[in-house]
Amino acid sequence: MQILEDVQDTPRAGNIKAQWVSLWTGPVVGVVLLLAALAFPGFRPPMSPTMSADQVASFYADHTAWIRFSQATFNLCGILILPFFTVIVVQMKRMKNQSHVFAYCYLTAVVSGATIFALSNVFFLVAAFRTDRSPELIMLLNDLAWIVLIAPVGMVVSQFVLLALAVYFDDPTDPVFPRWVGHFSLFTAAAMVPAAGAAVFHTGPLAWDGLLSFWLRNGAFAVFVIVMFFVLRTALHRQAVEDRVVAA
Amino acid sequence: MSRVDDAAGAAGGEGARQSGRRMLRRTPDGVKPDVWLMTLFFPAWYAVFGVIICLLTRVTPPPRPDVTAADKVAFFTQHHLTIQIGFTLLLILLGGAAMTNGLVGYQMKRMSVGSVFAYGYIGGMSVGALPGFLLVTVCFLTAAFRPDRDPALISLLYDLGMLSYNGSLGCFTAAYLVLAVAILYDKNNVFPKWFSYVSIWQIITEVIATQMFVFASGPFSWNGSIAFWLAVVVFSVWLGALIVLLRGAARQEPVTAPALA
Repeated sequence: MQILEDVQDTPRAGNIKAQWVSLWTGPVVGVVLLLAALAFPGFRPPMSPTMSADQVASFYADHTAWIRFSQATFNLCGILILPFFTVIVVQMKRMKNQSHVFAYCYLTAVVSGATIFALSNVFFLVAAFRTDRSPELIMLLNDLAWIVLIAPVGMVVSQFVLLALAVYFDDPTDPVFPRWVGHFSLFTAAAMVPAAGAAVFHTGPLAWDGLLSFWLRNGAFAVFVIVMFFVLRTALHRQAVEDRVVAA
Repeated sequence: MSRVDDAAGAAGGEGARQSGRRMLRRTPDGVKPDVWLMTLFFPAWYAVFGVIICLLTRVTPPPRPDVTAADKVAFFTQHHLTIQIGFTLLLILLGGAAMTNGLVGYQMKRMSVGSVFAYGYIGGMSVGALPGFLLVTVCFLTAAFRPDRDPALISLLYDLGMLSYNGSLGCFTAAYLVLAVAILYDKNNVFPKWFSYVSIWQIITEVIATQMFVFASGPFSWNGSIAFWLAVVVFSVWLGALIVLLRGAARQEPVTAPALA
């Protein structure tokens, strides 16, 4: 995006630049998190809840370095995805003639959802910190890590529902996001729901290594971020043209 | 950055209100449909939350702190299924807390004192979700996940869950404090002044609740008459009042009022 010379230093150009930078943190952080996920031995394939305490303990003992590297990366970089979601908040606040109550609820859900994600890697890292602990304790930490990572979907579910509501309540003659974004967001919310079963089931698609709880939940979330990157890029470009910050 | 110029805004606004209306036919005249939707959602979510914590997962009223590890294992055995059903449901619906807190934050933003207290409320409550009920949810589900775990570990999860659930004090204290101060300063009368004093009582119960980290039995323990039941009474008054007051605040805001900056 080429900002026009004569508006370079105006607040409205600054607003566009800030959103543009925040938007691009999405793919950059996304790639870092993807590398961390590939580096985590517990994802190749996802560790089974049916592993015994001794198996879990020896898993941590055998893969200590890679577990530390990947989970410390999640710890350091996971929350860096937040600026991407704050661009969505700012765009929700541009929606005409709605009160923006959805935007504030969305922001609240985004922050709470992030705190939950921030907790899981600490459990993985504590389990890897002293691998000579009793296997029972390592298994407890591993259970907590996996359950916190996969099962608490409520905050992201309400995020997606609130985004959909905001899209549906937006001015149909001049919407910020196209209407299909609302449907897509609801679909993503629905894709998150089964993962709550990861805190209960040991086997099958709802277990934390299962088709629905692991692959559908995380896959749908990743697809949402990728799709929203392009949706936000278009919306932001339109805002920049309307604000006369870039040439039409 | 405002792209709303008045004429276009008013014309587009009618369209948006109509589309909102279709989704929510029962919005009273002159009330913003999106605010009304969240206002109706507020008591609905607390009703579901009440059923989950009281009837299904049995964390309110709380199980006793002064029991042996074997008793705690027996608690998880006896309520195994309902704990799993209730807390799994809560994992899905967790975000309702964010939605209800966001609504209160929105109404606070309408106060004459500006946004600072509203952001403080949203911040405090956003942090509070994790120690306030995510942790008990995860601890109890982890305990129920492998009932054959060492009883000492089940006991640890029980204590960790109950103390974080009943004893996460600061996030809510911060939120109640900014709410109380905001109401006292506010000249727009979004909430009546007496509600500020109810919120201050909420802070007092949080201060008293610090004692549950010290006492494992008696009136100051996590199921005690003072540390728990007094707090329940105050919280019920506070929540009941807020449900009514949010409806009043939604009705008070003109449907034509511009969106908050």
